[in-house]
Amino acid sequence: MKSGGLAGVIENAGVLVDRSRGYWQDFQNWVQLDSSTLSPGRQLAVKYFIVAVILFCAQILFGLLAALQFIFPGFLYEFLDFSVNRMVHINAMVVWMLFGFFGCIYWLLEDESGTEIVGLKYGIWAFWILTGAVALVVLVYLFVQIGPGKDSSLWFINEGREYIEAPRWADIGIVAVVLTFFYNVVATFSKGKWSGIAGVLTLDLVALAGLYVAGMFYMTNITHEQYWWWWVIHLWVEATWEVLVGVIMAWSLMKLLGVRRKIVETWLYIEVALMFGSGILGLGHHYFWIGTPEYWLTIGGFFSALEPIPLVAMVVHAVYDAGAHSFKTGNHPALAWIIAQAFGNFFGAGVWGFMHTLPQINLYTHGTQWSASHGHLAFFGAYATINIAFFYLAIQHWRGDVWMAGGIKNAWRWKWALGLLNIGVLGMTIALLIAGYEQSFVERAVEGSTWGGYFAAQSHPAFQSAMTWRLFFGLITASGLGLLVWDLLTIGKGEERKAEMPQQV
Amino acid sequence: MIEPVALKDFFITFFSSALIILAGASYALLYAWSKVNPNSRIKIAAYFSYAVLVISVGVLSSAANFSGYWLIVTILMIIGYFFAPIGIWHLCVKTHHNEEAAITINKRRSNE
Repeated sequence: MKSGGLAGVIENAGVLVDRSRGYWQDFQNWVQLDSSTLSPGRQLAVKYFIVAVILFCAQILFGLLAALQFIFPGFLYEFLDFSVNRMVHINAMVVWMLFGFFGCIYWLLEDESGTEIVGLKYGIWAFWILTGAVALVVLVYLFVQIGPGKDSSLWFINEGREYIEAPRWADIGIVAVVLTFFYNVVATFSKGKWSGIAGVLTLDLVALAGLYVAGMFYMTNITHEQYWWWWVIHLWVEATWEVLVGVIMAWSLMKLLGVRRKIVETWLYIEVALMFGSGILGLGHHYFWIGTPEYWLTIGGFFSALEPIPLVAMVVHAVYDAGAHSFKTGNHPALAWIIAQAFGNFFGAGVWGFMHTLPQINLYTHGTQWSASHGHLAFFGAYATINIAFFYLAIQHWRGDVWMAGGIKNAWRWKWALGLLNIGVLGMTIALLIAGYEQSFVERAVEGSTWGGYFAAQSHPAFQSAMTWRLFFGLITASGLGLLVWDLLTIGKGEERKAEMPQQV
Repeated sequence: MIEPVALKDFFITFFSSALIILAGASYALLYAWSKVNPNSRIKIAAYFSYAVLVISVGVLSSAANFSGYWLIVTILMIIGYFFAPIGIWHLCVKTHHNEEAAITINKRRSNE
């Protein structure tokens, strides 16, 4: 390249950087958020929240592309294949929720421990490493879509396990980041004060780091391979995340409604006991068709039937509290999302889970759109909702503990965002349920799980129609997300009134 | 060995499974509500929900061809779902027993 050309490139790059700085400044002026009012620990939490929201947008975008490809199979063929869109869609979901959870814990850590975060510097490093690694992995997914599976591809491109496709170097990075996070949490509580929430969180983080390692083994025996895979999917995602949600929920309820610490901690212990009591053996329902001994059919079926018990406990306790207290909160959007979490978790995990769990029916439904239906409602209901509730808690504090209850300006935005997101996800769930029903019936029961049956089901008018409805509701979800982002950036802007913070009863 | 669901029973299996969880939750909700607000109609509705649960379990057992130890598991499930909300309610009362509000509820209950 000629030196003049190089100078031109540098000059253009300089102009581009200046322009970006200008846009960034304009954006900061528009949102009117001043991070200097936050403690360093909460500034770190905010970084995690921002990346979480960006990844949430990526999840929806790639989900929409994959949904389009169900209807128009040739759309973006050999440019951005369905398998890649689906993989990015699912992994973005896993990672944005993880970013959200890390942000929530960093947000509450200093408040709960009563001291500054010990390894803040390591936490910031871990954040940038994780963000950089996620960006790099996604770029590799997008640019290296096909090729042979070798040891090198296992390490640098894709480990090949559905839902946890990260290459091994990224897996090791994730464990390192979780261990750094673990150190920060334990060291901070050790320096400050311990609590029931701190104890449960610490134990959960041991499992969070440890169980992920199960996904890093490579075995030639497919049954063994599937065992480890399910450990990550079920015990890591469904058990350790549920406990993490319990911790976040417990802290949020104290801040949001002024619920006494003793009550939330007692229920946290009960929830953990019930969850592990039913959840660990309930994992057996994933072992049905991978070549494991027949007793798993009974163990998996029985403990799956017990898995909704923690949710039933939640219902009873909610009624008790509603009767014993008159709820007052200074943050309506956060409370509304917590209520959405209770419903979403119950229907998505409880009702939709049990509908197709018993082996007599799971034989037909396993791995069909039925699972996707259950997954959409359960992940949104149990995890996305609590993260969004926490975003509203955080933004309220970031704005200076401003009024965010009745009579707030532009309340329609958070209400419509709540409505559109929930209607969108519920609509997708129903559409996928219909597709899954048709698929179980035609592909599995009538055609006997043959390739012919697979294609007969995929091209069936009922399946195609359901997928069109799924796309329609996906667009509604996307519009809800757009509104949510707008609302999160602007809610409380210019609000002069201070929130009435609830006192612990 | 399990006997898979017959083709004609597909829908009824999904429907009865969903109804078990919904009826279980309705029973828990109405039971707790009848404790907060002592009213015989709410209590009757709670037991009606439990009856729906039992019927749903019966339908599911038949559609999903339960036999042998599957029936034992089914009976355990029915018993468990009956006592779970009662036990959880007692836990609620114990965890809140210092609260003035809880005392108010008890007073109201004893007055009525």
